[in-house]
Amino acid sequence: MPHSVLILDDDADFNSLLTDIFEQADYVVTSLTDPVEAVDVFRETEYDLVVTDHKMPEMTGAEFMKVIKKIRPEVPVIMVSGYLENDTIRELIGEGVGGVFLKPLNIFSLLERTSELIEEAKKLSAAPEGGDEGEDAGVQLGFAFRSYPCKSGASASFAERLHSLRNFKSTLSLIGEPGMHYRSICEDIRGFYETDAEHFIYLSAGSFDEAQALALVEAGQKGGAERVTCVLLELETMSDAQKALATKLAKHEGPFEEVGVALRTIFCISGDLDSLFDEGLIDENLYILMGTAEVRVPPLRDCNVDVGVMAQQLVVEIAREKSLASVPRFERSARDLFRQHTWERNYEELRAAVRKIIEDNPGDVITHAAVKSALRVEEGASPRTRFESHLSSQQVDYIRAASVLFGGDRSKTASFFGTDVTAVEAKMK
Amino acid sequence: MQQHRALILRSNRFLGSALVDKGLVASADLESANGKFMEAIQSADLKRASILSTLLFELKSLDESRLLEYLVDEERLGLVDLDFLELDSLRPMNVDISLCWASSTVPFDHVEGTYMLASCYYMSAPVVKHWEDLLDGRVLWYGTSTASLSRALERIEEIHETEDAAAEDE
Repeated sequence: MPHSVLILDDDADFNSLLTDIFEQADYVVTSLTDPVEAVDVFRETEYDLVVTDHKMPEMTGAEFMKVIKKIRPEVPVIMVSGYLENDTIRELIGEGVGGVFLKPLNIFSLLERTSELIEEAKKLSAAPEGGDEGEDAGVQLGFAFRSYPCKSGASASFAERLHSLRNFKSTLSLIGEPGMHYRSICEDIRGFYETDAEHFIYLSAGSFDEAQALALVEAGQKGGAERVTCVLLELETMSDAQKALATKLAKHEGPFEEVGVALRTIFCISGDLDSLFDEGLIDENLYILMGTAEVRVPPLRDCNVDVGVMAQQLVVEIAREKSLASVPRFERSARDLFRQHTWERNYEELRAAVRKIIEDNPGDVITHAAVKSALRVEEGASPRTRFESHLSSQQVDYIRAASVLFGGDRSKTASFFGTDVTAVEAKMK
Repeated sequence: MQQHRALILRSNRFLGSALVDKGLVASADLESANGKFMEAIQSADLKRASILSTLLFELKSLDESRLLEYLVDEERLGLVDLDFLELDSLRPMNVDISLCWASSTVPFDHVEGTYMLASCYYMSAPVVKHWEDLLDGRVLWYGTSTASLSRALERIEEIHETEDAAAEDE
């Protein structure tokens, strides 16, 4: 029995072209140009897939998708458009769009994706309830969240916890493993507020000082901010002076006492807070300040269902950055590889792997072999590189262990390893 | 108490987070308690450095009976009122009373190699770990109120003073 497709595009010529394409591929097509009418028709008729334009006068494709997803969430949607911003594409993918195709269309990719989505939807509807966590079996959050697609329990709980803490009064701590995408996560927190009066500034070890922090806060204030949230990235890599300043910032002391706007702080830290405290890398004040509202950022290995979607989002971003004519997509077995990988360096490693894949010009479809090759490169191009990397990380672990053993005394630690204090400090950083 | 400074910091930080996590305390109240806690730490008044006491008695943002109910219902802990127990010196157990003050925990009995511990800080993982490491894991935990624990530790201090005086007389 042929599958049925609803096509919605206000451009009559393009609508007609799409209709021809799908009819020639043996689909039963209903083509409409008015989104309001399309909603009514969708409500009354069973479709296997919907193809919609994004830019339409009465309703955008994203708005149309939201409405029909409320009616029948299991029906996959493909979006076609002449131009879409990266953020919009990410948002669409996050909201459950099954494919995004930019004009001019690659007909074969469009039909292949259509067939895949219909098959996936059929499998999901055939699967028993409470079965395997499928890629499209995401948790429906009542708010936008883009840094994780939230299709796994760990990421959905994380998003919900962040949302519940969004009105934190003065400090929030995001604690995770190395390579996390803290900035994107904080952008999500920013997105929880619909007002422009919430301003977020980002401060990192490379440039954080009193003058910069005050200037950014002042700029926010001048821009109409009623509250400024200061995000301190990679706190563990900051100098002692920067950490002391971070404490003052969080406690609204010293230079931040007289700031004429409400201030809050988000601490982003990679590593185990207690170990960092034992090693003297976090002082007592920060250690206690960071415990007020503390959220563990889930590592990618705990959100394996999300990783395939995150990879696709990165493909879109990189394709856009490189002005590629079409956005490559992963074949299913290639996406499975992303799920199975352990992601020691988390998002940083994922981004590097996807970039490597796109730089190798994969064509319209990213194969299993291409992903495997990129992951192998990321694990270390040669045994020598892998061995060097392993030794280097072990070296830091040993130095940190010795530092704990000697109560944080750097000179004793340096003497133990037969080196100088500067070298030890450099490694500890 | 100074030797237990790291444990005090860690146990209070964990307790505060646990109380917020379990919905017993609001984050804003914990922020205020943290501020007072750090003041006590910095003034070296470590006996006063307790987030729990601050929440209960200064900020009055936590009801102790609710906390004890939580320990019974969710943590399956028995409760003990130390006022009704005969307490002994901690010295035969090689336990320093300053550790008891620092962790709001006291061993109140020792039966066939198992120690009975009463604590106000059972929800703080570092306290549980510290005592279980110290006593080789042979521990039965009980919850108790802060008032009951303070009176018990004061009585034990008196027992120790009597012991010290007797030793001096000898």
